Amino acid sequence: MTDAALFAGVFPPGAAAGPFGRRQRRARGARVPVILVTGFLGAGKTTLVKALLESEAGRATAVVVNEFGEIGIDQALLAPSAEGKVALLGNGCLCCAVRSDLEDAFRTLFTDRARGAVPHFDRVVLELSGADDPMPVLQTFLGERALAREYHIQAIVAVADSATGRLALRDNPEAARQIALADRIVLSKSDLASAEEVAALTIAIRAINPDAPLREARHGQVDPDFLLADSILPPPSALQADAPGHAAGLSTFVLDFDAPLPWRALTAALGLLCEMRGADLLRVKGLVAVEGCRGPVVIHAVRHLLHRPVELEAWPDPAAARSRLVFITSGGLGRAAVAALFRAVAGLAPP
Amino acid sequence: MTITRAESKPAAIWNFRLIGHHELNGFGGMGEGLSMQMAKDGRRILWAAHESAPKNFTAIDVSDPRNPKVVVQTDLPHQNMRSNSLETSGDIMAVAYQTKQVDMQPAGFELFDISKPEAPRSIGFFDASGPYSRGVHQLWFCDGEFVHMAAGARDFQPHDMKDDQFYRIVDVRNPSKPEEVGRWWMPGQRVGDNAPKIQRHPQPIRDSGFRAHNTNVYPQKPDRCYLGYLDGGMFILDISDKSLPRVVSNWDNSPPYHGFTHTILPLFGRDLFVVTDESTVDNAADWPKLIWILDGRDETNPVPIATCPMPPVADFKDRGGRFGAHNLHENVPVPGCWQSENIILGTFFNGGLRAFDITDPYRPQEVGHFVPEAPRNSSLGAIQINDVFVDDRGVVFCVDRKIGGLYILEMDF
Repeated sequence: MTDAALFAGVFPPGAAAGPFGRRQRRARGARVPVILVTGFLGAGKTTLVKALLESEAGRATAVVVNEFGEIGIDQALLAPSAEGKVALLGNGCLCCAVRSDLEDAFRTLFTDRARGAVPHFDRVVLELSGADDPMPVLQTFLGERALAREYHIQAIVAVADSATGRLALRDNPEAARQIALADRIVLSKSDLASAEEVAALTIAIRAINPDAPLREARHGQVDPDFLLADSILPPPSALQADAPGHAAGLSTFVLDFDAPLPWRALTAALGLLCEMRGADLLRVKGLVAVEGCRGPVVIHAVRHLLHRPVELEAWPDPAAARSRLVFITSGGLGRAAVAALFRAVAGLAPP
Repeated sequence: MTITRAESKPAAIWNFRLIGHHELNGFGGMGEGLSMQMAKDGRRILWAAHESAPKNFTAIDVSDPRNPKVVVQTDLPHQNMRSNSLETSGDIMAVAYQTKQVDMQPAGFELFDISKPEAPRSIGFFDASGPYSRGVHQLWFCDGEFVHMAAGARDFQPHDMKDDQFYRIVDVRNPSKPEEVGRWWMPGQRVGDNAPKIQRHPQPIRDSGFRAHNTNVYPQKPDRCYLGYLDGGMFILDISDKSLPRVVSNWDNSPPYHGFTHTILPLFGRDLFVVTDESTVDNAADWPKLIWILDGRDETNPVPIATCPMPPVADFKDRGGRFGAHNLHENVPVPGCWQSENIILGTFFNGGLRAFDITDPYRPQEVGHFVPEAPRNSSLGAIQINDVFVDDRGVVFCVDRKIGGLYILEMDF
């Protein structure tokens, strides 16, 4: 668990800094935002990504895909780079096909950008193949020694096919997991499905992910801002978690806290969870008021990894300045047990 | 000298927003004097020094940073001089005059009443000309009382003509009659010194001269001057007695580096110094020119602990012109100036403007950069960002050294 910064006790931190370094305007700090697009095979991810690239808001986007062929960008392809790994697209975008090492691809993208070897990009859209489990990818971006310093997972967007999504969810644990982990969900091809099919899929999705904002795509398109928004938390008013919320062995629930937490208590509880039940801790995300901090602290954990905390300058919505942690778990790890753990640890904290 | 033009120079902007650009009426080759006047009529006037003749200075109304307006642009008396540095303090502006050769006029600094920004009025002149002097290269003027400057003098004969400028303090409380109150130079710099001649940098280390550059003095510690002395490194001087500055410490990285220590920015709240060496040679032939972070807990023993990361030299050196560190936003202690001890903004010529988070001073991290495309009609084919000033609204002003003029940005990190 990260504690206060290394230099503490040597140099005064400066007026702009808190216990976790300089307070940031937003969770990504100065890092490059990454939007992870998941969804089962044929769900319409590629159409969605293409539409984003062609929009004004999608300018200067780098896309990382498994294979060029999959995204079908041939007609938009302007010039492959010397290494043949990166394709420059119209609209100031570029596309990078990854065959094996995702980490290596992202590192190369970053260094090529610094060198001016590829056009400057403002964000990366990573399109996972349909059968990919997003968990290892998330872990890759959270490990401090890997990509966490330069990249920030801004959002996981799951795409579900309105007509076939329900079957995919029923038959494929990966599909359910993609939905569970998503920060935002797009229902694709709703113009090709009946209203009943869309309604049934929505119910199935809500059983797994009760709160993520959900949008229907029309002809493969949604408002680019829906994909690019930088909040990982659903608006509090929408929070319905703790409702039944069980499907495919997955749970989503929320803990909220009235008073600022002592950092030691928070890290003790999260640390213990990561250690004992890390395998079932698919994702923890939230904003928490921490004692001694001016702004909320961004918490993001995946399995055994807790990302270095980031203190924000202010709550995104001062009217909703309340600590909330969203847990996405598997293996029957439920709210009651986690809440009890937090209570017990808080009780152990020195007065 | 070879100037290689790269095939393409992608504009790169990260965590800055470009909100304005002004080519300054075609005279966009700007120096290292950027100072903001909070005019009594409520306007914010940015005063900008030109890098070279024919222009002297330009005032830009930046009250609305998205719509900058030139309010005045003045000419130098002749082509064989430059006014590369200026500062304002209230409604008084001091402008440095340096001639191309020694023994020319006007070499010194001029004081202007700028209470009417459209009509700057000369109210004083300090002569620093002489048979061995080119006048004033740089000055610092924040308190309305004293000008601290890098200047030659009539009575100062250096052993090496590259060493003509030293640290001088001039009392301007009566602007019509500025008077020198103190001076300091490196022992052995002047003919007649009771000290051995300064040892030149040995080849192949560049010999750029042992002379003063930035002369920063802050109200938080008014008895200290933070003095960049080019090939002499950085000096901290005790100026509690202005007539007799004394050396507190000297940190010198050269050799093995190529000297040209330029700016020392003390971060009083953090016990740190930020020090730059200027790149002065095209194609990064004097690489590496860096921003250094020094542990300043003991001012008698500043210790370098980190440098700010830069993009790979191989990818920038042949873009045209210079690539390397130069000026910083210096937390100038005047109203309207942004103060920061966590974020450092520096200019890197064709490396553009770069911002660093030094909250952990052992690990500076770049948090933003701005590398515009080559300006229109650029002879180098590349940008040469030369100086930067940030106002207390967080609006960033940076200038091109050759032709591009003024770029106005917002920080987004």
